[in-house]
Amino acid sequence: MIVEVKNLVKRYGDLVAVDDLDLEVMEGEIFGLLGPNGSGKTTAINCILSLLKFDNGEIKVFGKPMSPEAYDIKKDIGIVMQEVAVFNELTVYENIDYFCGLYITDKSERKKLVEEAIAFVGLGDFKKFYPKKLSGGLLRRLNIACGISHKPKLIILDEPTVAVDPQSRNKILEGIVELNKNGATVIYTSHYMEEVEQICSRIMILDNGKVIATGTKEELKEMISLGEKITLQVFEMEDTHMNFFKTMENAVSVDYDGKFLVMKFQKGNSNLEQVLDYVKSHKINFGKIHTEMPTLNDVFLEITGKELRD
Amino acid sequence: MPVFKLCLKIFKKNIPVMMIYFGLFIAVSIMMITMSTPTDQTGFSVSKARVAFFSEENTPLVEGLKTSLAENADFIDIEDDQEILQDSLYYRKINYVLRIPQNFTADFMTGADPKVIKTSIPGSTSNVYVDLKIESYLNTARMYLDLIPGISQEKIKSQVLSDMAEETEVEMLRRDSSGSETGLMQYFFNYLAYTFMFIIIMGVSVIMLVFNDPIIKQRNSCSPFSTTKINLQIFLSILLFTFFSWIVLAGLSLTFAIDEIPNFNTKYYVLNSLIFALTSSALSYLIASLVKGREAMIAIANVVTLGSSFISGVFIPQDLLSEGVLKIASFLPTYWFVRGNRMISMLMEKSGPVFDEMVSSMLIQLGFAFGFFILTMIVSKKKRSV
Repeated sequence: MIVEVKNLVKRYGDLVAVDDLDLEVMEGEIFGLLGPNGSGKTTAINCILSLLKFDNGEIKVFGKPMSPEAYDIKKDIGIVMQEVAVFNELTVYENIDYFCGLYITDKSERKKLVEEAIAFVGLGDFKKFYPKKLSGGLLRRLNIACGISHKPKLIILDEPTVAVDPQSRNKILEGIVELNKNGATVIYTSHYMEEVEQICSRIMILDNGKVIATGTKEELKEMISLGEKITLQVFEMEDTHMNFFKTMENAVSVDYDGKFLVMKFQKGNSNLEQVLDYVKSHKINFGKIHTEMPTLNDVFLEITGKELRD
Repeated sequence: MPVFKLCLKIFKKNIPVMMIYFGLFIAVSIMMITMSTPTDQTGFSVSKARVAFFSEENTPLVEGLKTSLAENADFIDIEDDQEILQDSLYYRKINYVLRIPQNFTADFMTGADPKVIKTSIPGSTSNVYVDLKIESYLNTARMYLDLIPGISQEKIKSQVLSDMAEETEVEMLRRDSSGSETGLMQYFFNYLAYTFMFIIIMGVSVIMLVFNDPIIKQRNSCSPFSTTKINLQIFLSILLFTFFSWIVLAGLSLTFAIDEIPNFNTKYYVLNSLIFALTSSALSYLIASLVKGREAMIAIANVVTLGSSFISGVFIPQDLLSEGVLKIASFLPTYWFVRGNRMISMLMEKSGPVFDEMVSSMLIQLGFAFGFFILTMIVSKKKRSV
């Protein structure tokens, strides 16, 4: 086991930021911590990294107790913080070299690693640029390069794609998957469910400092009663048709907003065929139709009663 | 040594700002050299007043007075006309009109106190010598008259002139055998306090602002580099920067007072400035740990350096400052640095009260440095525990 957290409690006065958190991260996985802003993700990460003192609990990394002085553990951890932590006085190359230098003393090895990190994040053309000259996306990539240049066994990325354009975001996510393929275990925190769903092998959902669910994305979706969701673009909907859809077997909810008919069903068989048969037989004029399985937002919604992005 | 190297790079980046202050120091120093009056005079010559001398009687006593005045006066022949005399005084053809009234001698010899009549240009130094000479002649004559009853005018005249001819040898001694003749060395080393403190505060705070940034601090804490190692490397870089600044500024001070370098007390000026450099570093460390933000730092650096320099005697000699101000200033290291320099300027040997006072000034500065360092540690610890 790479990271093991038991009964972690962190309080700020009366506010319980992390409430009895248990967490296990296995070697080679991309573990996602998903939750809305203020759910306790960053606090949990800071406790794992011994940046924060906690009120209760036990944290082990690589099987050893974690502490501020556990330098033998820290040397194998790469951290990409939520806020960009680079020096404005140094160029892109110098920044990566500095952070790599905190872990790697051998100059020639470090040079090789720095070059690799630059190539990995695609900053080859910006080596001599100062951070102030970089766009938000490039700056995030620099932040990642500074965190991973020493080839750590465990990489912790705390919301690395905040305020990043979609192109840079995809590049970052692809990079994280590649790092994982190269052998690194990854802990990835985000409040973007699509990202977590896209790259994480296991996910923990947090809300108000509490764990509300843990598992693979499939396991998480299994936890809820919701199954298929069919969306039909129709321009006119008579009450008789609405009644039919509402009384369909497995239907959980049916809503029509004047343009889209959204039908949610319980887990079970596919309902698409029955819906299409009815539409055709009653000559209902429709545009697009698509079906989707529940998302992590649906999981979060069903468990907490609120949207993930609320 | 990644932290140490980073600090050096940050210093390098801030060189242009530092250069402004180095430049300022050089400019003020050059200004001082060109404006300072050489004070290497070891004697003086009395200037003579242009005197119009009129006597309404011709007696040995009056003749004696005129003879005695000749040393300090050039007698100008001029018509005894009120208007002409006024014009001559106005156009500075003469500085002094001296008139001996009738019966002056008779009255004097009978013990009365007759007055000579004088008209002079106000504020003239040479006139003062004429006044002194007249007073001296008449006072000495009166003394003879009082002590030797029946003494003749001739006798009085010869005795007084003989007495007044007596001269006392006056030798201008240097304040010390090895110290400064011009005081330039002391001035430059005093002024160094201002420039030095500002540069050190700015340099140290630039580094500390970067490393005290919470995000950078957190990021560094995640690394296997211990806080002690990081602090040690920062401290080393600050020491190097302090040493470099000290070499440059002390070197400039010595260059500007190059003629005084062979003096016995030069090494003490250098030592005192090195101690002050360490104290300034410690103070900068403390300020940097308390203040957040570059703008605030510049403001604090200005207030601390200018304020302490003004009240400690960097710009104005300590002798001219009030006791109250100096008492307040004694709570600042700059005061003890300036005082140390003052003691060094008076230093003649490696012992004695002046030497002891110089040593105690240096020790007090070191005490300040230690105090600042301890305070910084306390502040850092408090911040860490929050």
